[in-house]
Amino acid sequence: MAAVSQLQRQFIEYTTSLYNEGYLDDQFTQLQKLQDESNPEFVVEVVSLFFEDSEKLLNNLATALQQKIVDYKQVDSHVHQFKGSSSSIGAQRVTNVCVHFRNYCEEKNLDGCLRCLQQVKHEYILVRNKLEALFRLEQQILQAGGSIPMME
Amino acid sequence: MEAKKIITENPVGSSLKSDLDNSIHGSKSLLTPNEFEMDDVLEESVVNIDICDEGDQLVVVDYVKDTYANYRMIEASMYSLLLAACAISSCEKSACAPNPYYDPYYGGMMTTYSQHLLGLMASAVRRIFSNISTALTSPERNHPPRRRSSGSNVYQEEFRCYSVCVARLAIMVMLAILIGLLTLLTWHFTKVYTRTSLNSLAYGLRYELLQRPILRMWKILNSTVEITTSQVKLSEYVIRKYSKAENQAQQVELYEVMRDITWALFSSRKALNSMSIKYRNGFVQAFHRDLRDKNTYYIYSNLDNYTMVEPYSMNRSSPHQEWNDQMIHGNVSAIWYREPLDPDTGRKTGKQKEIPPDELINIAGISQVPDGAASWHVAVSKFTKSPLLSAALPVWDEDRGSIVAVVGVTTALYSVGQLMKELVELHGGHIYLTSQEGWLLATSSSTPLLRNSSSGFTLTMAKDSEDEIIQSAAKWLNKTYHDKAPMYHKVHSATATLGQQRYYIDSFFLNLTRLPMVGVLCIPRKNIMGKVDAREIKTLIILISASVCILVVGCICIFILTNGVSKEMNLRAQLISHFNARRKAEASSNFKSQFLANMSHELRTPMAAVIGLLDILLCDDSLTNEQNATISQIRRCSTALLRLLNNILDISKVESGKLVLEEAEYDLGRELEGLVDMFSVQCKNRNVEAIIDISDDMPKVVRGDSGRVIQIFANLISNSIKFTTSGYIILRGWCENLNSFSYNENFFVDHRALWAAYQKKIKRKGLDEKKASKNDNTMILFFEVEDTGCGIDPSKWESVFESFEQADPSTTRLHGGTGLGLCIVRTLVNKMGGEIRVVKKKGTGTLMQLYLLLSTPADIPRESYQLKFAEHNLKVVLALNGRMSRAILSRWLHKLGVPIWEANEWNELTRVLQELFKPTSYAQNLMYECSEVESLSKEGVEMSIFIIVIDIGMLNISTDIWKEQLNFLDAFNRRSKFAWILNHDTSNAIKIELRRRGHLLMVNGPLYKTKMIQIIEAVIKESSLEQQKKNIMWTDAHERLQIDSRPSHTKSSNESEITETNSTRSSQIEETNQENFTVYGVVSNCFPELTEVRSEWDRLTSFPNDNSNCEQQTHQADQKVKNGQKALEGLHILLAEDNLILQRVATIMLEQMGAKVVVVGDGVQAVEALSIQIEVDNFKTSCESLPYDLILMDCQMPKMDGYEATKAIRRAEMESESHIPIVALTAHAMSSDEAKCLEVGMDAYLTKPIDCKLMVSTILSLTKCRT
Repeated sequence: MAAVSQLQRQFIEYTTSLYNEGYLDDQFTQLQKLQDESNPEFVVEVVSLFFEDSEKLLNNLATALQQKIVDYKQVDSHVHQFKGSSSSIGAQRVTNVCVHFRNYCEEKNLDGCLRCLQQVKHEYILVRNKLEALFRLEQQILQAGGSIPMME
Repeated sequence: MEAKKIITENPVGSSLKSDLDNSIHGSKSLLTPNEFEMDDVLEESVVNIDICDEGDQLVVVDYVKDTYANYRMIEASMYSLLLAACAISSCEKSACAPNPYYDPYYGGMMTTYSQHLLGLMASAVRRIFSNISTALTSPERNHPPRRRSSGSNVYQEEFRCYSVCVARLAIMVMLAILIGLLTLLTWHFTKVYTRTSLNSLAYGLRYELLQRPILRMWKILNSTVEITTSQVKLSEYVIRKYSKAENQAQQVELYEVMRDITWALFSSRKALNSMSIKYRNGFVQAFHRDLRDKNTYYIYSNLDNYTMVEPYSMNRSSPHQEWNDQMIHGNVSAIWYREPLDPDTGRKTGKQKEIPPDELINIAGISQVPDGAASWHVAVSKFTKSPLLSAALPVWDEDRGSIVAVVGVTTALYSVGQLMKELVELHGGHIYLTSQEGWLLATSSSTPLLRNSSSGFTLTMAKDSEDEIIQSAAKWLNKTYHDKAPMYHKVHSATATLGQQRYYIDSFFLNLTRLPMVGVLCIPRKNIMGKVDAREIKTLIILISASVCILVVGCICIFILTNGVSKEMNLRAQLISHFNARRKAEASSNFKSQFLANMSHELRTPMAAVIGLLDILLCDDSLTNEQNATISQIRRCSTALLRLLNNILDISKVESGKLVLEEAEYDLGRELEGLVDMFSVQCKNRNVEAIIDISDDMPKVVRGDSGRVIQIFANLISNSIKFTTSGYIILRGWCENLNSFSYNENFFVDHRALWAAYQKKIKRKGLDEKKASKNDNTMILFFEVEDTGCGIDPSKWESVFESFEQADPSTTRLHGGTGLGLCIVRTLVNKMGGEIRVVKKKGTGTLMQLYLLLSTPADIPRESYQLKFAEHNLKVVLALNGRMSRAILSRWLHKLGVPIWEANEWNELTRVLQELFKPTSYAQNLMYECSEVESLSKEGVEMSIFIIVIDIGMLNISTDIWKEQLNFLDAFNRRSKFAWILNHDTSNAIKIELRRRGHLLMVNGPLYKTKMIQIIEAVIKESSLEQQKKNIMWTDAHERLQIDSRPSHTKSSNESEITETNSTRSSQIEETNQENFTVYGVVSNCFPELTEVRSEWDRLTSFPNDNSNCEQQTHQADQKVKNGQKALEGLHILLAEDNLILQRVATIMLEQMGAKVVVVGDGVQAVEALSIQIEVDNFKTSCESLPYDLILMDCQMPKMDGYEATKAIRRAEMESESHIPIVALTAHAMSSDEAKCLEVGMDAYLTKPIDCKLMVSTILSLTKCRT
């Protein structure tokens, strides 16, 4: 049980750090609250949906920005989607970069867009790694027989 | 009935359609009220709508009050169906070739249907006929305009001809005018220019001609004057010298000197006619040349009569009076002499002769110089025929006081005439000189100039000339100029007509003092212009004829050219009309396809209603047998009709190119097995084996359109079933990697060659695609569908794949079908990059081969069972009825290294079993009591696991023998596992009995590999558990379970052991399981691998386990509901959201609140979801609550965004006066977006990410508002 409580403490610390560093926000907490017996894997499911969606969107964005004539409308819609999905899972930093990205899109600033794309990618990878680590931790706790402590 | 134009038919179809719509909407229909009552219409429409609403579930209990009502509803549905069919077929008829048997055919079709409906449809048919008659009359109504149009076509044709002719004529006329003008101009210019140039030339010539005689004249005059003046000067000199002559001798000397001087002058001028000196005293000296006899004479007067003194005493003041003619002529008495002279020397050659005075020559006297100046005149001599020109000059004395003598010189004008003659001789003209008065001086003609009148020779007037030409010319001149001094100016005329000819007349005026002269030249025009005139006419004729020729040739050319052009124009017009016709035809064909597609869709809806209602009727117990039979017949017919409709829909979909294959991953093997399961029922009824044989290397997951692939095989298999009465139907499948494709395959080696050609093509194409796009493995999947039916004639192998084509038309009656199935199959196969063909087969039956190109996800590992099975030391007894399936399975298991025993009937099975379990066969009875001992002693046998797969058909079910048989089998139950292959019609009693005896492994036939694997796996698992169990040694309590639910318990406990540390949740479930413990529930739990098998059980036998599951679920749901907030309890919410994440999140959120959520992916779907509801709402008499209480609408969605969707919904709501609250969901967080959302008619606005509480409060406020 000591190991479990150790893990639980670690989990809480890690989650708190994620919130403090701004990787996640309340939306993620809400998601966690939505998870219950009927949807035991809900958070993982949604987050992996987000991962899939994001990979696709990032690819789309990269190709769209590589075109000779960049269709900013399209780019904008992609960013918009990305913003929507990232905000839904509470990936705050990604959302913020998306906001900047959209501004550049409106200005039709290709350099800014490309820079933002890099930032978004970076942030996305960061948040993905963080979340994956979080889930691993969760898994460990579960395997060790403990329950996931709820964040208040 | 040649109504070729689909367009003219269009209104008929649409009228029918609208008719249908009308009847649905319950408004005034086209049908007359005495045939149709409004109540019926309303009722029908309600049913229809209900059916639309419920879709395929077809549970329309509310409206089915009694059987009669059902009849009415079916009738109504059928009616609407038939209306649509009418529309389709009338459209079809008109779109296709004209059919003279249209009407009877149609009627026939109707009667077929009405037979099927057994009179229920009589009234409907009557109505349909009325519709048909309208459909028939409408093209006739359309006929007159068409004829008119054809008439106008003829008119147009004529008009075109006419216009071509007019154009042709116009061009010709223009050409004619052009050529005429050209000709005229040419002619004119040549004529004018030649004429003017000739005229100028002629003028020059005439001028020259006239000038020369005048010059000659001038010269003559000049020389005459010179001579005269020189004579005068000499005379003056001599006379002065001898003025003081005193005596006769001096006087004579003077005269002698004078004579010499005169001679000298005279002889120097040969042209002179005469030269005379008349002295004051009357003495005359003269030299005369007689031109006729060429003699020269000296003429002188006798000196005797003249006094010498007298001249000096002359009165100077009045010299004229003193010296007059009277005096001279009065001196008649004087004697004149003439002596001939040598013309050269002047010597006297002959004797002097006495001649009368003035007889020979004119001696110029004082009268001729009245004023003392020189004078000219024309004289006439007696000796010459030509007039003479004489000049006279006075010789003055020293002091010029008086005239001493008069010198006269005469020159013959003969030479002038001679010259003229020479000049005009060449031109054939005439020339003459006249004095001012008109006396002829010289002519070119030889007519005499002098007239011998009474007073001697006189000059003639020109107009009296004997020469006609001269005479007439003179007259013409006179006439033209009316004597008004015409002579003083020059006259040039080219048009004078003298006699019969036209002449040029030119005259010159030569103004000499005292003797003005006029020269006239007449040259016949012919001589100068004759050739020109002649040529002129010729030229004109040639020109005209040439131009006429050109015109004719040009016209012919134009005709030919325009003919070509008009032909080309005609062709082009035809081409255009053909093109139009083709376009129309294409359009109509498209229209047809589209119409068919739409209509088939429409037709399916009432069809579904019919079938559903019939199902309800069939459940009704109150029906008599006869009714039941009838209704089941209708049911069958309806199903057939629905299938036909589906086929038509497919065909028209394919034709209109709308068939799009999905790209999704699916388990091909499972789908095919499901298909075979489905058909096995049908097969079993016909005593045909349905076998599926898919090779192990078949990829488990492929990408493609599963529905369409299944459709291919469903069509093929159903086709095979149709024609197979005994034997088997096998679906074989194997695959090849496109890259590593090789020919050394064990299967169907002889057919490889046939396929090779295709392979290469595919390979090329496939490689290209591969390079271009994805890294998926493209696989060639080969399939064969083999049956033992009647087979297809080889000549029909190709044509069976055509539309509406069947191998043997007579089979339609026997087997039914439309011949569309194989056509659809081939279209689909081709669409998937494959081919299908019929292949020669040994024995009877058909062998269809096809391949498909399907891609597989690259990283799906192939499963291999070989190792697993081999190490478990399995032994399998296959006791199956079907020969083929047994053979295939045994071959497969053999390949996996599993020993096989086969049995195909009960006796054989017993024999096999007894052989296998020989040692135990004696001691059957002991088995129950001392199983443990036995198991120990039979360790060797126990080591291997026996699986006995028995077909339920092995048991003799018809009698009670099967229980005995089971008893027999029970003996082997310990050491072997029984797997029963059930039939779909296996009765429950048998199943229960089997279960009671512990035969828990039951699968539904047919048996195929996957099921076999499942069986084996289950057995392996079970046996391993058993092994464990044996090791642990269970207590008595387990004995019960060993019989009833041994495996389940072991398993569940086992599970719980393993997942002991699992979450409390799972253990809770375990608890509930145990609480709800039933025999069957446990059974279901102990074979989680056999889920689909179990579900089939459930489905077919309505296994009670369902209930337990349901209970369990409801129980769970209840729990959850108790836990969660139920703020949104009972609300129906439509969520339109394209983002999967948000969809999921929002759904869960809302569901946790107790709301029911329907999710749609875009605006179009949202609108559709609502429009159905609104339509329903329109016709529901009781105003029920809307199915959706609220819509959550994402703003940015594909196809139709939230704004558009909201607008559409609000538009639709205008009619129904309802209002569904719509809440916008958007990531746009700006106020302008909010404004936009509210503007399009949304009620509220939520930003993403969704805040749960805010959302709930918003929703509640909106829904509260409504209530």
